[in-house]
Amino acid sequence: MQVSIPREVLPGERRVAATPESVKKLIAMGFTVHVERGAGALAALPDRLYEAAGATMVDDPWKGARVVLKVRPPAERHDGTHERELIPEGALLVSFLWPARNADLVAHLASRHVDALAIDMIPRISRAQKMDALSSMANIAGYRAVIEAAHHFGSFFCGQMTAAGKVSPAKVLVIGAGVAGLAALGTAKGLGAVVRAFDTRAAVREQVQSMGAEFLEVTVAEDGEGGGGYAKEMSPAFIEAEMALFRAQAREVDIVITTALIPNRPAPKLWLRDMVEAMRPGSVVVDLAAESGGNCELTVPDEVVVHQGVTILGRTDLTSRLATTASQLYANNLVHLLTDMGGGALTIRLDDEVVRGALVAHEGRVLEPPPRVAVSKAETKTDTKTVAKTETKTDTKTETVAKTETKSAHGHGHGAAPAGGERVSWMTWAAIGGLAAAWIAMRAGVGPFAHEADASLRLFAERVTVFVLSCFVGWQVIWNVSPALHTPLMSVTNAISGIILVGGMLHLRGAELGAAGWLGVVAVLLATINVAGGFLVTRRMLAMFRK
Amino acid sequence: MMEVFLSMAWTLASVLFISSLRGLSHQETARRGNSYGVVGMCVAVAAVILGEKVDRAHLPVLLPAMGVGAALGMVMAKRVAMTAMPELVAVLHSFVGLAAVLVGWAAWLDAAHEGTPSALLLGEIAVDVFIGAITFTGSVVAFLKLRGTLSGRPLLLPARHLLNVAVALASLSLAALFVKGDAVDPNLALGVMTLLAGALGVHLVAAIGGADMPVVVSMLNSYSGWTASAAGFMLENDLLIITGALVGSSGAILSVIMCRAMNRSIWSVIFGGFGAEPAPSSGPARAPEGEVVATDLDALAGELRDAREVVIVPGYGMAVSRAQHAVKQLVEILRAKGASARFAIHPVAGRLPGHMNVLLAEASVPYDIVLEMDEINGDFARTDVVLVIGANDIVNPSAQTDPASPIAGMPVLEVWKAKRVVVLKRSRASGYAGVDNPLFYHPSTRMLFADARDGMEKLVAKLQG
Repeated sequence: MQVSIPREVLPGERRVAATPESVKKLIAMGFTVHVERGAGALAALPDRLYEAAGATMVDDPWKGARVVLKVRPPAERHDGTHERELIPEGALLVSFLWPARNADLVAHLASRHVDALAIDMIPRISRAQKMDALSSMANIAGYRAVIEAAHHFGSFFCGQMTAAGKVSPAKVLVIGAGVAGLAALGTAKGLGAVVRAFDTRAAVREQVQSMGAEFLEVTVAEDGEGGGGYAKEMSPAFIEAEMALFRAQAREVDIVITTALIPNRPAPKLWLRDMVEAMRPGSVVVDLAAESGGNCELTVPDEVVVHQGVTILGRTDLTSRLATTASQLYANNLVHLLTDMGGGALTIRLDDEVVRGALVAHEGRVLEPPPRVAVSKAETKTDTKTVAKTETKTDTKTETVAKTETKSAHGHGHGAAPAGGERVSWMTWAAIGGLAAAWIAMRAGVGPFAHEADASLRLFAERVTVFVLSCFVGWQVIWNVSPALHTPLMSVTNAISGIILVGGMLHLRGAELGAAGWLGVVAVLLATINVAGGFLVTRRMLAMFRK
Repeated sequence: MMEVFLSMAWTLASVLFISSLRGLSHQETARRGNSYGVVGMCVAVAAVILGEKVDRAHLPVLLPAMGVGAALGMVMAKRVAMTAMPELVAVLHSFVGLAAVLVGWAAWLDAAHEGTPSALLLGEIAVDVFIGAITFTGSVVAFLKLRGTLSGRPLLLPARHLLNVAVALASLSLAALFVKGDAVDPNLALGVMTLLAGALGVHLVAAIGGADMPVVVSMLNSYSGWTASAAGFMLENDLLIITGALVGSSGAILSVIMCRAMNRSIWSVIFGGFGAEPAPSSGPARAPEGEVVATDLDALAGELRDAREVVIVPGYGMAVSRAQHAVKQLVEILRAKGASARFAIHPVAGRLPGHMNVLLAEASVPYDIVLEMDEINGDFARTDVVLVIGANDIVNPSAQTDPASPIAGMPVLEVWKAKRVVVLKRSRASGYAGVDNPLFYHPSTRMLFADARDGMEKLVAKLQG
């Protein structure tokens, strides 16, 4: 089965749908791979690497293709032909398709009996994570957004104290804490900036905080969890509160990175003209939603706009600007997808929810998308309160307190019985009960040993005393043994319990060794194995422990 | 006069044994503790011989017997692989049990020979033989299970609790008959009771699953102490009582610690059958969602090269394949490149309390980078890579998330909080508890299906090359 990788035709697109590494994996799966000459040139992947990996370099990759792997949706080529006409009938096309925006294209592909798999429609379920190109690309876009912002920003990201004076750290606000937003948070944090994030979905709060960022919240209780890892549109009251929050932030922050997208809708306008105007000159806005119209009112897709000293970047090619890594991750996503579909013996199975979710054209028909599958695992909380910072602090505090408590419980709390608190343990009560019963039995002169001699009973009682006190001493001595020493402790107690050999020895009496004597000898022999073996192996073990 | 000398000797030996156990509770004093134990034992043996408790005529029999025993013990101690420590400990317990049974019978034969023994003595003999026989057969079964000769699965007879109670009651009645002495032949009564107690020991341990082995071994450790104590009552010997009580409580404490580490009541372990009981709460345990994602050594090596904070979680799988030396090398490589590499040890990792620590010590891993669960659980969130080597139940998140899970509430190592978890495992099979592990389906988890030692050695080679 032939897999073809054409060169991307869209101007400015540097990525490619296969790398030499992924070609190797495709060939191992049983595909033959045709790569158009120069396909990887802009991603620093020259033809010779593909050839070395086993690909056939061709001028016309479309001929004979059964599977076509692309990055961008089919588009018009520079010679006037359109890629959608070039795909052989019955072949499978895998690429970004954005079917909601490109209904005509999908219909056309269906009419030509091309099976079209929109990689952007892969359901965002855990099983499909490894083929989720939206996430892998968003991660790159988030990283690059910060790098672009840094390029246009006239200061450090990290604060510095120098002999020449103090520089404050940059304050970065990320709106929308999806994959791209989190990547941007991580990158900005890594550069030393003060980072904050806003998201309508309460579930992402922990993720934001785990990146070391502050999670901003509004006072209106509403959760924006819209299914499939996206947010839904919010109520007017919420949006009003959100806008008020943004206006306050606009006066403070230096960099704003917006990543808010709602599936199949134009991007919501979140960063309005007056917010841009409230920002300090020299500030930067990076709009990752530029391709769907932009989150910022002043965004012009693919352009750099400067408005009253604030730079607004509407780049739509951020992933392409990291072409090598983007190609590598995208190619891996595709390899995973093809592996799941059966590798060299590829079949399209409509009962596979991943394939079904992404398949937009099949056997001449346009397929409607199936209902989205829920993705968010975190508990969805609805009672969002004010700014989270204070809450986080108290949380950590409680945790520390809890930890100390456990520690101290382990350290001291085990004096007598495992039961804690002030209450006397049930064992104590049982012992007192037993004592009472013994008193009654003695008074009445009954019980199993009523006719024993007084002297032997007294001896017995003394031994019980010794026994109980020894148990108590043992209990006290052994608590606090460090867990690392449990095995040596066990082997040394093994050796010590070999003391039973004394019991065996005590039977070696009388002139002749009777049956009892011989039993004693065997017991001594067995117990000596214990003594010698136990002490020696403990020694061997302890010699190994070193700091 | 000799009695006074002996009682002084017993006191000295007892103090030495207490010091020994006390020393064993900390790394710095552990070796001295062991030496105290040796001295204590020498004092005790010397006192018995010098105190004229043994007829000198019998020394030519006694000393060779001790010599043979000591030689056997030394050979076993020298030869045993650290991975086989659980078996050695179990077999040593069985010796104590058997010795106690023999001593009990010897005491009975002596007493019967000398005239009519008191009911008190007969009762003590019965108790000693009973505990000794349970310890003996229980330890043998535990030993066979640990060696793999017997399956680790719990043996679940129908109405097994009832069976235990019945056998215990039967033993008690036989003991009563034996003490009364006139109803039946006392030899027969004691003999049948010995056999019944032995059967009880077999059944009690056979009904306990392999994952509970650390508890079982500690329990048997405890029993071997109690049996020595019982022998002390029988022989009117304070040294045996004291020493037995020390060992008994030490084993009991270990059992309690192990049970807590598994969130299990001590009774459920004593009476066995864990892993087959219906879960206490309603509803079946949830089947995990998602997919197992496999990885390979190249990817893992790459991730380790970039990692700054690495935690290794060893389990029984590391012991089985003896991977500890390769793991040590891995840690050295990681530390040499400036990364932090530490170990996280769950209290019940392996088949013996503290088993992992011993194995790592054998591979000369410094003990200050080997951390306990409580010490390290808070650090997983900022860990780059967690490497789980042959462990399963102790890193199972359903203990915390799924109240219907059989291991619900058991404290576990929270490895899933780390950025990347790589689980090294021979196959997809579930752990000894037979519980499916959602960790394997966690988005940040990658599975490396390989033998622990083989995988580790190849990984080390890759990181060195």
